[in-house]
Amino acid sequence: MTFALLIGLLWLTLVKATPMIYAALGGTLSERSGVINIGLEGMMTAGAFSAAVASFYTGQPLIALAVGILGGALIGWLLGFVATRFKVDQIVAGMGLNILCLGAAAYGLMLLFNQPGASPQVASMGENYRWLVWLAPVLAVAMQWFLWSTPWGLRVRACGENPKAVAAAGLNPLAIRLMAVTCSGALAGLAGAFLAVGELNLYSDGMTAGRGFIALAAIIFGRWTPIGAFAACLLFGFLQALQIELQGHITWLPTDLFEALPYVAALIALVGATGRNKAPAADGVPY
Amino acid sequence: MTKRLQFEPLMAIGLVIVIGSITMLLAGVNPFDGFSALLLGAFGGRSQIGETLVQTTALLFPALGICIAFRAGLFNIGAEGQLIMGGLFAGALGANLHAPAIIAIPAMLIAGIVGGGLWGAIAGWMKARYGASEVIATLMLNFVAGYVALALVNGPWKSPLASGAETAPLLPTAILPTLLSGTRLSIALLIAIALAVVLHVVLRKTVFGFDLRALGDAPEAARRSGVNITQLTVVALALSGACAGLGGATIVGGMLHRFNTALSPGYGFTAIAVALVGELQPFWICIAALGFGALESGGLAMQATAQVPKDAIHIIEGAIILVLAARRYIVTKRTANA
Repeated sequence: MTFALLIGLLWLTLVKATPMIYAALGGTLSERSGVINIGLEGMMTAGAFSAAVASFYTGQPLIALAVGILGGALIGWLLGFVATRFKVDQIVAGMGLNILCLGAAAYGLMLLFNQPGASPQVASMGENYRWLVWLAPVLAVAMQWFLWSTPWGLRVRACGENPKAVAAAGLNPLAIRLMAVTCSGALAGLAGAFLAVGELNLYSDGMTAGRGFIALAAIIFGRWTPIGAFAACLLFGFLQALQIELQGHITWLPTDLFEALPYVAALIALVGATGRNKAPAADGVPY
Repeated sequence: MTKRLQFEPLMAIGLVIVIGSITMLLAGVNPFDGFSALLLGAFGGRSQIGETLVQTTALLFPALGICIAFRAGLFNIGAEGQLIMGGLFAGALGANLHAPAIIAIPAMLIAGIVGGGLWGAIAGWMKARYGASEVIATLMLNFVAGYVALALVNGPWKSPLASGAETAPLLPTAILPTLLSGTRLSIALLIAIALAVVLHVVLRKTVFGFDLRALGDAPEAARRSGVNITQLTVVALALSGACAGLGGATIVGGMLHRFNTALSPGYGFTAIAVALVGELQPFWICIAALGFGALESGGLAMQATAQVPKDAIHIIEGAIILVLAARRYIVTKRTANA
């Protein structure tokens, strides 16, 4: 393999990993605060759809990006709201949001563009999407620093370990959780917007293709740390890049099975995470 | 443990009306017209009723499977993949087994059970042996099932006659007998109802059913009373997958008469709503499946005659799941590794 090919593969790895990294960082934040975010996939869908719509009407990819983040944050807030206010079963609620978002986006396509499946082409970021790729590792380091080196980070983590202690310290764990899940949705929205107006230039049904779910596996494999989740996403991104680069070169394995590779890797990672599970103690437990 | 007298069905109907009206108004349609189009599309005549019952059947199998898993405190979100694997196995066998119907049909259904059961058991094994989150395992297995099926129908199992990705058609002896002539309704409906009755009895009257519910309601108590949790976890998810797989087989045997990858428009996910609205009790799940089956079949008519996109149905389903999650069926005191 030549040097240029190798560089190409590494760059593709980063690009493919980027949306998963944003989603996984959001999920890590949410789970650190004690709310399991199975709705990442739906929040990515919301981000991708709203970004594509915003770009269609304004023609400004940066505005589209902001709208995508807001769209994801809105769904994140909704999950946070029902999780803190009604003490729902978070996994069931998250799954409901996933179905709702996919349905709403498909419905929106029909309503706004009167065409099923995909939106028309919209203005994309062009080459500027590279900035978002480089922002991902920066954000991972920043979140690691935030969670482990700042007072607010400690408070977030305390909500995920022992919310009663947070309450005893005079803070409102529910408010902190709501904030964390909303931010988590914003990051997932950014991940979706990256797909719709960064890597591509439209919204299409099912374009998130389970990245939000793979991000969940990355969180576990990364032991609920931002850096760990980042590394896990790189691994999954590498497999996706490999699949794209090797497609057509390897004939003994059908293309369709190649495409299953990242999901199989996520399954193996789940098994590999055995015994060193360091989930926050109150992860998924309503307060 | 579910209690008596619940409001899930009423809440669900309320949500259908409220969210349905909002989506119709957004589309510029009078909700009265929209709902009458929906109802006429679901129950307006013999063929409409037949199609509603077809959709009911397709939802009932995975919903009963989800009921088993949720009762055991296991989040099986992989009914979609289990359905696909069941359909794939059934389609492969049904197209190749030269035997009289009395053998071919049961063999095909068993193939579906095996396919779905295996797919569920993988997640169960990962959970029991390695402590892997069954939520994420079943989600991932959905995608893997889709790609495995695609690889097979694009490759070795591709029908030589078909242009698309599908297996060869079933042999005539493997096709399920029709229940209502002129419609796609087959005896699959009766099988589904029989399965619901069996499940009802098993959950209420057998030691296995008791252990299953104990695992869901009080895992620590179950462990201390000598229940083999490792084994039960695998068995519960395998049975859960087997129900969905049987559903896949009946879709192949009764509706499509071959396997193709467009087998399910998301039955495995809608079935979560069905199971929750049905309060995780087989009898009520049958009723809920009828309601959601009507939505599925009426949704298409609503799109055609009232110009309300049928995806509005999925918004309603998602909202129902979201709201019913607040009722907390499933014990949240689980090992926090999801």
